[in-house]
Amino acid sequence: MDFPQNMSMEEAFALAEAEAKLNQALSESKSRFENAVLPNRLNEDWRFGRPHKYAAALAEQLLSDTPSQGEAEVEHAGEAAVPVNADDEDLRQTEMLMPTIGSDALLGMHLERFGNGYALYIEEDTNEPIVIRYKTNSLYTPSTYIMVAPGVKAHIIEQHYGSEKGTIFATRNIQVAEGAELKVELTPYGCARSMVITNIQNMGGKVAHYSHYFACDWAREETLAEIYTPGSDIQLFSANHLDHHQVIDQHTRQIHHVGNATSNLLYKNVVDDSATAIFAGNIYVAPGAHHTDAYQSNRNMLLSEKATVHSLPGLEILADKVRCSHGSASAPMDEEQLFYLLSRGIPRADALNLVAYGFLQDVVDKFNRS
Amino acid sequence: MDESPFQIDTRGEFSFPENHKFDAGFGLTEATIDYICDAKGEPDWVRQFRKDALRKFNEMPMPTHWAPEGINDLDFDKIRYYLSHGTMPYKDWEDVPDDVKRTFERLGVPEQERAFLAGVDAQYDSETAYNNMREELSKQGVIFVNSTEGLKEYEHIFRPWFGKVIPVSDNKFSALNHAAFSGGSFIYVPKGVKVAQPLQAYFRINSESMGQFERTLIIADEGAELMYMEGCTAPKYDSATLHSGVVELVALKGAKIQYVTVQNWATNVYNLVIQRGLAMEDAEIRWIDCNIGSGLTMKYPAVVLQGRRARGEVVSISLAHSGQLQDTGARMIHAAPETTSNIVAKSISIGEGRASYRGEVNVLKGMKGCKNNTECDALLINPVSRTDTYPAITVNGNASAVQHEASVSQVDEEMLFYMQQRGLTRAQAMSLAVNGFINDLVKEFPMEYSVELRRLIDLEMEDSIG
Repeated sequence: MDFPQNMSMEEAFALAEAEAKLNQALSESKSRFENAVLPNRLNEDWRFGRPHKYAAALAEQLLSDTPSQGEAEVEHAGEAAVPVNADDEDLRQTEMLMPTIGSDALLGMHLERFGNGYALYIEEDTNEPIVIRYKTNSLYTPSTYIMVAPGVKAHIIEQHYGSEKGTIFATRNIQVAEGAELKVELTPYGCARSMVITNIQNMGGKVAHYSHYFACDWAREETLAEIYTPGSDIQLFSANHLDHHQVIDQHTRQIHHVGNATSNLLYKNVVDDSATAIFAGNIYVAPGAHHTDAYQSNRNMLLSEKATVHSLPGLEILADKVRCSHGSASAPMDEEQLFYLLSRGIPRADALNLVAYGFLQDVVDKFNRS
Repeated sequence: MDESPFQIDTRGEFSFPENHKFDAGFGLTEATIDYICDAKGEPDWVRQFRKDALRKFNEMPMPTHWAPEGINDLDFDKIRYYLSHGTMPYKDWEDVPDDVKRTFERLGVPEQERAFLAGVDAQYDSETAYNNMREELSKQGVIFVNSTEGLKEYEHIFRPWFGKVIPVSDNKFSALNHAAFSGGSFIYVPKGVKVAQPLQAYFRINSESMGQFERTLIIADEGAELMYMEGCTAPKYDSATLHSGVVELVALKGAKIQYVTVQNWATNVYNLVIQRGLAMEDAEIRWIDCNIGSGLTMKYPAVVLQGRRARGEVVSISLAHSGQLQDTGARMIHAAPETTSNIVAKSISIGEGRASYRGEVNVLKGMKGCKNNTECDALLINPVSRTDTYPAITVNGNASAVQHEASVSQVDEEMLFYMQQRGLTRAQAMSLAVNGFINDLVKEFPMEYSVELRRLIDLEMEDSIG
């Protein structure tokens, strides 16, 4: 490699070392995709997720001749937004190094279709939210990159529209520098299949992430939130109302590589009809990551006899002097709340909706306040 | 060690010369099974049953997709599957060999005190070494024998329930136990009989590479009540030993069973036990479980709530010091309406020890009015200690409520400072704090067990802090 003229020996050394590390990681990543098998029933990250049905169907679509076809729009981004180009090796490498939660094989197929989406390099505060919109009526595989510079405040809304039952399989890499504050909203809508793999890397900033899946037949979310610098804060939120035969399969990891940082998660689902909600979260505190505060909460409201909830909140704590807890509760609607509304003359159907809405609105409020 | 108020070696890290009448050698084959059957003089159907189970054991995969990694080090060919002094249980305390008696003395249980115990069933290696049923029990019609005798003498009760709660093909270790089982207890409590005193069985492994495949079946007939206690310590050895027991409980309508285990194997023991109870209408099953020893424990006491209004409970304490993985938990299967269950699990990780909670709560389709409450608390003692929590909760339908909470904490420095200021050593202060952490659960254990438990915690604390 060519070193710049004014570089010192130490800097050149460090650069060469970093390059060697990257190359090794890339070659490891290559074998990761070569060895990856499609999610099967022995894949614990797909427990209850019926991989033989859903992962197989998505893979079939990804391996078919159907091209990745869709629209990508961005608003209020100014100079910050750059369309992702299939030739952009840096961005491709970033995606190659992305961790997944049990879906390496599917990420490999996504990489085969690399070259859609937007990269946002945010160096100034946003006055109004930047909106990224992906639309398709067949199959679309965008990659989104969000990089927020030190001390910058940004708000981003990412919308996925699957009109006429399109499939959107998106990957997202979010990097937040020291002192930066980022709010991200993710709202997939109307997709036959919606799969989103997100990797948040927090280097000392504050991140609040909210997802809301609406009218998607099957949605799988894999969100890995990693903390690399003390002082970081990550808040993950999700609120969904499922009905018919909808299935939502949400997997999260709050990974504390270093101590003196905080993370929090609140995922709520209202599950009606024959719908199924799966939540599998994990808080990982690395050895030596003392003084970590990490919380995780999953709440489910079941509205029908045929509704199903699977909740797998997990903790892996390898350091002491931490405060970590998780909670999970699944229950029907509170009869007293319902009775209160009914006694004031509100029709039953409206009262049900109101209580369910209030249950979920709590998440939105917390996100807005964060 | 000097700082301890207790000087009793409850870790049981010692052994005696081995002197076995029967030894099936290493590895498990059809020949091993023939040897076991011949030695025990078992009927042909048992022989065939064992062989079928062996075939299933060989076919089934290890649960490597979820189990802790330590299980991969287990080598089934380096284990002896049957050792025994003889097939006749000792009926009289006088007949118990001296070295066995010495073992019990080292456990801190004096002979006189044990004479009061209601039918001690002292299992030494694979066979019952001492089996003393009190006349009172027999008068009430309670059957309390070892499982071999149960199979022979009470086949009409034993056989219909044998392997019904935990089937052969449930998992690889269940199949292993069905193939190689020896020892364990068979208890039948007739209708309406409430056994006043707890039934006890002390047993221990005392031979290198010796597998202990105890098989316990407890049936409480309608309205019956009993408490069963089991405690184990094992001498320390270099090569791994395997303990893979199967415990089946059947609580018929309105019956109550409490099953207490205190486990303190040496750290070279694999403790892979399957415990499951079947609770019929209005019945109640409680597992009270304490895991202190063994290198790798995988143990998830389960209750299948099969009848309306059945109740299940698991109270669990685990203590993991360096070199140990306590992978414990609980399973509650709500298979009938209006069933309730409660799980309280507390774990303590010391040094590089790792304590995990792994649980399953499942409210099946169409079950209404089911309730579950789960609480897991973990205490970390040292900077390198580890704890994990892996619950899996499934709820079907909108007529049941399930909640789960878990927290991780450490001993408050201020609390330790306060106690040290008042003249306690750091180890004593830590021991007091840890005992406080589990105090409300220890109360669930019978007196002598809770005393033993506190001694063990004192010892552990001294080893790691003192």
